[in-house]
Amino acid sequence: MPFVNWLKRRLVVIAGLLTLAYLLLPNVVVTVFSFNKPKGRFNYEWQRFSTDAWKDPCGVADMCGSLSLSLQIALWATVGATVLGTMISFALVRYRFRARGAVNSLIFLPMAMPEVVMAASLLTLFLNMGAQLGFWTILIAHIMFCLSFVVTAVKARVMSMDPRLEEAARDLYAGPVQTFLRVTLPIAAPGIAAGALLSFALSFDDFIITNFNAGSTVTFPMFVWGSAQRGTPVQINVIGTAMFLVAVLLVLSSMVITHRRNKQKA
Amino acid sequence: MKTTPDNSGDVRLSGISKTYGSFTAVHPLDLTVPEGSFFALLGASGCGKTTTLRMIAGLEEPTTGTVRLGDQDVTHLPPYKRPVNTVFQSYALFPHLDIFENVAFGLRRRGIKSVKKQVEEMLELVQLGEQARKKPHQLSGGQQQRVAVARALINHPKVLLLDEPLGALDLKLRRQMQLELKRIQTEVGITFVHVTHDQEEAMTMADTVAVMNGGRVEQLGSPADLYENPQSTFVANFLGTSNLIEAEVDTKNGDDLVLKAGGGKLVLPEARCSAPTTAGGKVLVGIRPEKISLTHADDAGEIPAGRNRLTGKIADASFIGVSTQYVIDSPVCDELAVYVQNVERDGRLVPGADVVLHWNPAHTFGLDAAQDIDAGTEEEVAA
Repeated sequence: MPFVNWLKRRLVVIAGLLTLAYLLLPNVVVTVFSFNKPKGRFNYEWQRFSTDAWKDPCGVADMCGSLSLSLQIALWATVGATVLGTMISFALVRYRFRARGAVNSLIFLPMAMPEVVMAASLLTLFLNMGAQLGFWTILIAHIMFCLSFVVTAVKARVMSMDPRLEEAARDLYAGPVQTFLRVTLPIAAPGIAAGALLSFALSFDDFIITNFNAGSTVTFPMFVWGSAQRGTPVQINVIGTAMFLVAVLLVLSSMVITHRRNKQKA
Repeated sequence: MKTTPDNSGDVRLSGISKTYGSFTAVHPLDLTVPEGSFFALLGASGCGKTTTLRMIAGLEEPTTGTVRLGDQDVTHLPPYKRPVNTVFQSYALFPHLDIFENVAFGLRRRGIKSVKKQVEEMLELVQLGEQARKKPHQLSGGQQQRVAVARALINHPKVLLLDEPLGALDLKLRRQMQLELKRIQTEVGITFVHVTHDQEEAMTMADTVAVMNGGRVEQLGSPADLYENPQSTFVANFLGTSNLIEAEVDTKNGDDLVLKAGGGKLVLPEARCSAPTTAGGKVLVGIRPEKISLTHADDAGEIPAGRNRLTGKIADASFIGVSTQYVIDSPVCDELAVYVQNVERDGRLVPGADVVLHWNPAHTFGLDAAQDIDAGTEEEVAA
C-alpha cells in the first residue's frame, strides 16, 4: 500500500503537472522542430538536428515581410482598440445616457457572432464602399473585433473603482488632468493592460477576418496557411519559438520586478 | 500649528440650497461655523447633511446661495482650489499608493518638493510611523481611518470636513477614535465640520450641533442645549428619548404655565415652551426619562409639594446595570419611559405596581402640538 499512499499525497501535484504538460506539449513540438533539417519541403518528420533555420530566420521569401506587417497591424490595432475601448468603458460606467443599455449589449456582438459570417459581411461592406482592400481594411476590421474584448476587460475594472477616489484626488488639489493621470489611469491600468495584451494576441494571429479583407496583402498567419499547402519551412517554427520565448521572458521579468519591489518594502 | 484668529476659518453658508430635478436635497439654509470650532451636522440618512458638506468641499455646486470661507467667496471654486480637505466615508485611500504617498498626495499636487519630513511628522501624529511603506489594504479599519485624517490634515486646511468618518468602525474602536479626533482637533485648532447620523457621536465630539431633517436645519445649539431644550418633536426624539404628553394651556402663573393633562395639572416654565401659549391652546409637554422619579403609590404623601405628578402602573421593567428602565402606562399617556439610577432600589417597583411619577417642573419643556409626535423616533427614521 505504500505506493497508493504516496500517490494519494501527490495527486494534486501530479494532476497539475499533467495539465501543464498537455498545455505545453504543442510548444515543445514547435521548438524541437525548429531545429529539424527536413528532407522534403514538409517539416512533419524528425530527421536530424540543425541550426540552419535559426541562423537564417528570414531565409524564406516574403515570410519576414508578412511577419513585420502582422506586427505592425497588431500594434496599431492594439493602440486603436485600447484607446477607443477604454473611453467607451468609462462612458458606459460613468454616464447615464439614452441607449446606454443598447450600446452595452451591441458592443458584445462582435464577440458573439461567428467570425466567418462577420468576415464575409465586412468584405461586402468594404466592396460596396469601394474601399481598397489591404493594410487599412485589415486594421479597421481588427480594431473592430478587439474593441469588445478591451471593453469587457476595462469595464470590469472601472465598475469596481470607487468614484470617491477621484473626488478625494480633486479634494487634495489635483486638477482634472492630474486626477486622471495620478488616480484614474493607474487604478484602471491592470484592466487596460489586460485588454491591450488580448488585442495584440487576437490581432496577431487572426486568420479568418484577415483572409477575407486583405486583398493581395499577406499577413503572417496567411503566409503560414499558404505555405502549408506547398510545404512548411522550418523558419515558421523559429518565429513561433521566438514569440513564445519573448512572452515567457516578459512574464518572468515582470514577476522578478514585483518580487523585488515587495522585498524592498518589507 | 494654531492658526491666528483672523476668522479665515469661518464657514458661512447663506441661502444655500441644492435641488436635483424636482427633488430638493437641501432647502435654502444659513449657517455660520466659527473658526476653530468642532461643528456637527446631525441627521438621519437623506436629510441633506452630506450634500451640505459636499457643497462646502466644492464637490457639489449649490443651486442657490453662497459659500464663504472667512471673507473669500468660494461658491464657484472647484474643490482643488479650496483650502478645505475632506475625510471621506470609507476613507477613499488611493489603493495603488502606499501610506506615505497617500499622505504626501496633497503636498505633491501643490508642487512642494521636500515632503519627507512633513509626512513623517504627520504619520507620527496619528501613530502610524511604522506603516509608511504599506499599502492601504494591509492596514486595519482604524489605521486606514487615521491615514485618511493625516492625508487631509497635512495640507493645513482652513476647514476639515468629515463625512461619517467613523461609520465603518466597530463600536469600541469608534469610541476610541471619537476621543482621538477630538484630541487632534484641539491640538491643531482647525475648524472641523463633522457629518454623522449618530447622535451620541455628535454630542460627544462637537461644540455645536445642527440637527437636520428633510433638507432643513431643525435646531442649532450646544449638545446640552439641544438635549435640555429641544424646540421640535424631531429634535426631542432624535436626540435621546423624550416623553411627550398632550396637554392644554389652562392659566398663567407668573413665569409658569399651568397645563391640564388628563385630570391633573402640570407646570411648565413659559420660557421653555416653543409653542404659542394662549389659554386653551394645545401643547406637547416633554420630559426626559432620567429626570423623572418613581414613588410607589403607597408613599405618595412623601413627595414634596411643587413637583409635577402623574399616576400610572408599571408595565415593564428592565434592569441594565447602572439603571433600571421602566415603561409606565398612565391615564394621560401610554408607555412613558422612566430611567432610575440603581442607588436605592425599591423592591415594590415591579410590573403591575401602582406608582406616582414626579419631577421638577424646571425640567419640563413645551412643544407645538401641531407637529407629528413621533417625528425622529427610531421607528419613524427607519421607515
